[in-house]
Amino acid sequence: MTKKKQFKPFRSRKVQALFVVMMLYPVFFFAQTKYTISGVVKDVANGETLPGATVLLKGTSIGSTTNEYGFYSITAPEGDYTLTISYLGFTTFERAVNLSSNQNLNIEIEEDATVLDEVVITAEESKKVDLRTPQMSMTKLSTNDIKKIPVVLGEVDLIKSIQLLPGVTNAGEGASGFNVRGGAEDQNLILLDEAIIYNASHLFGFFSVFNADAIKDVKLYKGGIPARFGGRASSVLDIRQRDGNSKEFELTGGIGAVSSRLAAEGPTFKDKGSFLVAGRASYVNIFLALANENSRAGFYDLNLKTNYEIDEKNKLYLSGYLGNDSFNLAGIFTNSYGNLSGNLRWNHIFNNKLFSNVSLIYSRYNYNLEIPIEGIDWTSDISNYNMRYDLGYYASDKLKFDFGVNSIYYKFNPGKLDPLDANSGVNPEKLDNKFALEAGVYGSLEHKISDKLTAQYGLRFSYFNRLGSQILNNYANNLPVVYNQQLGIYERADPISDTNYDKGKSIATFNNLEPRFALSYQLNEKSSFKASYNRIAQYLHLISNTTSATPLDVWAPSGKFIEPQIANQYAIGYFRNFKENMFSIEIETYYKTIDNRVDYINGAELIAQNTIETEILTGEARAYGLEFLLRKNKGDFTGWVAYTLSKSEQRTPGGRAGGLGINNGKWYNSNWDRTHDFSFTGSYKLNEKCRFGANMVFQTGRPVTYPDGQFVFNGLSVATYSERNADRLPAYHRLDLSATLTPRKNENRKWQGEWVFGIYNAYSRKNAASISFGQNQETGVNEATRTAIFGIVPSVTYNFKF
Amino acid sequence: MKNINFYNRLGVLLILIGLLNSCTDVIDVNVPNGSNRLVVDASIKWQKGTVGETQTINLRQSTAYFDNTPDVPVTGASVTVTKENDGSVFVFADQNNGSYTATNFVPELNASYTLEILYNGNFYKATERLIAAPVINRVEQTVEGSGDDTEIQLQVFFDDPGAIENYYLGEFTPSNLPLPSLAVISDEFTNGNENFIENDNENYIAGITVDINVYGISERYYDYLSILIQQSGSDENGPFPTTPVQLKGNCTNVNDSNEEVLGYFRLGEFDTTSYTIN
Repeated sequence: MTKKKQFKPFRSRKVQALFVVMMLYPVFFFAQTKYTISGVVKDVANGETLPGATVLLKGTSIGSTTNEYGFYSITAPEGDYTLTISYLGFTTFERAVNLSSNQNLNIEIEEDATVLDEVVITAEESKKVDLRTPQMSMTKLSTNDIKKIPVVLGEVDLIKSIQLLPGVTNAGEGASGFNVRGGAEDQNLILLDEAIIYNASHLFGFFSVFNADAIKDVKLYKGGIPARFGGRASSVLDIRQRDGNSKEFELTGGIGAVSSRLAAEGPTFKDKGSFLVAGRASYVNIFLALANENSRAGFYDLNLKTNYEIDEKNKLYLSGYLGNDSFNLAGIFTNSYGNLSGNLRWNHIFNNKLFSNVSLIYSRYNYNLEIPIEGIDWTSDISNYNMRYDLGYYASDKLKFDFGVNSIYYKFNPGKLDPLDANSGVNPEKLDNKFALEAGVYGSLEHKISDKLTAQYGLRFSYFNRLGSQILNNYANNLPVVYNQQLGIYERADPISDTNYDKGKSIATFNNLEPRFALSYQLNEKSSFKASYNRIAQYLHLISNTTSATPLDVWAPSGKFIEPQIANQYAIGYFRNFKENMFSIEIETYYKTIDNRVDYINGAELIAQNTIETEILTGEARAYGLEFLLRKNKGDFTGWVAYTLSKSEQRTPGGRAGGLGINNGKWYNSNWDRTHDFSFTGSYKLNEKCRFGANMVFQTGRPVTYPDGQFVFNGLSVATYSERNADRLPAYHRLDLSATLTPRKNENRKWQGEWVFGIYNAYSRKNAASISFGQNQETGVNEATRTAIFGIVPSVTYNFKF
Repeated sequence: MKNINFYNRLGVLLILIGLLNSCTDVIDVNVPNGSNRLVVDASIKWQKGTVGETQTINLRQSTAYFDNTPDVPVTGASVTVTKENDGSVFVFADQNNGSYTATNFVPELNASYTLEILYNGNFYKATERLIAAPVINRVEQTVEGSGDDTEIQLQVFFDDPGAIENYYLGEFTPSNLPLPSLAVISDEFTNGNENFIENDNENYIAGITVDINVYGISERYYDYLSILIQQSGSDENGPFPTTPVQLKGNCTNVNDSNEEVLGYFRLGEFDTTSYTIN
């Protein structure tokens, strides 16, 4: 039971041998006289490094893109070239280079700003699809894109924005989290400057924790996940914080309906570095106080970043995040939760071909709940220490090699219960702490096989060790859940004994080989085909049986009773740019399976549960779909239309516990399954003063379970339910509008301001977030009650820059 | 206490915030209609200090969810309860209105009883233990919420014995409402202390009387009622609902174990009190 080998189909010697050959491949490529040009690409206005910029030698197919720290390296035969650099929203940079020796060239490029006003971001962004790179199923959004999208109460929201992309849904308005290609909420790896964020929601999901003022860009990987990422089955949301303006001091901020923001940034360390401090705080409390309510609800975020350039080859970065939510419901309960993270990074450039970065990362999520009437004081948290060492080797014009190691130590405190005061009838109790070590080693080779064909071969080896100290129960036949044949229900087994694992002693270990393959074939200048496969092991599980996760839900590591989730995903796609890159089309189809998906027995009690194993059965999930994305990338009007046709379902047979399983072992729709998902988002620039934005969303209603009868019991009418998630809420649709006005007097002055007027759900559609069934207390008659979260919500926000 | 879904209460908070202008309304929904199933509403209730010789069991049929006459009696069944430790059999006589009554029942704490029903050629069976109830110490009245949005809350207190795991059912029946409210708790975090069951209701107003019964119940019945209560709330579902599940009771068809039999056979001692809201 302790040693698990998950890897089967690729466990052949041939594949392993092939991989070793791939690793050594670069070594054989030094015959010709070639030279390397390398450097860092930055924004001339504020000195921010620009990741993902395309660097090309004009007229050849030799080129690369800058990495997360703006670094590029190109190797080409001796000769005269024109080096071009292009980046979203920036003027294309060109410079003649004579490649007769290795050289270092740091370049600052200029925003495509014909507009004097800097707050209104230029619409001339080129987001054409990168046809050459094998990376597919990835969308990059800049803060500028996100800021243009109309949102609830004018609160710029990264998570809500990505839900407008194909393949991304959620379990309803106001639900926390998001679902990628039919995957569960806990299968998203959310990284803020590489730190794992466990709960990305403020106000239980109405807003997300990322302050757009502090964010540089966001990449969402829905598939084809690169080998350097691991640990979550469905997606990676890679969010990078800005470095801060290294040229001049700057203040930006905004005053909105829900919160206000202020960010300060500027050069520091005698122009050897820069800093950024960004804060956001809500003031719902003020309204509540004015309304004479005793309840309180609020949140804040604080983002910090600073960097210091030691010399040309060494640079340090320090970044941090602190966020918190707190609620006080008129003495009924008080509740607070939040994330804390910090990351220290050291970029070291060994030579013009080898770039490295070491990161030391800490992150924590903590939760507190006090219920005075029950006398309960409840706290729980999860924290981790994370070390990464990532290297990029730009071997030749045909080969780029990424490799590295990564190790995470987790500590889980699933809950501690204390009496709130002397009158409390509660006994102190501590659920068992859990400990685990997760490690990964990876290598990934991008290989330009011909001008048309590029491949990426990646492999990640992951290892997970669940550690003591902990006392774990033993159950008869190793079955924590047993099937009661007579009553047809799953019941908790009683432990027969327990095993005491000492501190640091291994309780269970798992290891997995995770191949990642991707291929692109360029059909012509304008279009390409791509295909990818990835396997990912996920060792942590969010224990939650509500429609969407609550902040109270705890994470459980794999171990003696829970196996790691294993995802396999296959995707193919067709990509095309047309009308001189004004438009792009991306069509992808995917099929994904997930093994060892945890499901909950009927009546499972997950809150304050020390023995999670007695509440769960293990099943599987699968999802497949077709995604379509049409973007208009240039001109006064920009935006996209996205449509997804998909299916996401799961099943949980009884397995060794016996019986047919949950929902009689039949497949059932996951809570976030949306057959049709259409969204449109657009931004139209009328003139220098005025910009308009709109969203339109149409989705199949989320799956729900409706009653199929009633019976009278103990004087009450009780609903009976049968097939799980076989019904659906009514279709969800809404329209949002926004207008951004920039006063003319902004010209030629330091203070730049803009007004953003928004209307969310413009035609006030009462979209059902849920429909509940029950007896009317006064009449005793059964009725269906719809809860709609947002009606029409107008908002005004004022943004400034100084 | 463990079954409290903290987030059910968030619905209230979100409405309080007002900004988010969430709203609830009653709508028409087409729901599926499963077949009519046998309902066994068999609660043997033994009030402390009484003989408990008269007991009633009700048999009904389930109906479509929005059927306005849900009480469909089942007549012509033969119903008996056997006390396992001495083999005595109590016959529950058919009253021809869906209820079956015994007048010679002998309750005994912790004794096992088996219910047997013969109906339409099928044989149904269930076994359960009679669980002791605690003595009610007192009832306290408090106000929950703030501003215009407050509700009166009652807490009924009793002492929990420390040696064993206990499960309790509180039944609150206000004089101005047609339906009782149910609440269940376990002593998992309050073992050996003074425990309480709470109930709040917007219809609790000064002058009305609330009859309160506190029962001891089995762990399995506690699980059953937890799901039942969670799934019967019409307005407190909050933003984090759980997926409703099939409620499986303890009565089964011996001839055909696949038949879904609704309801529960349970036996509980109870202590009772009456409280007038001031």
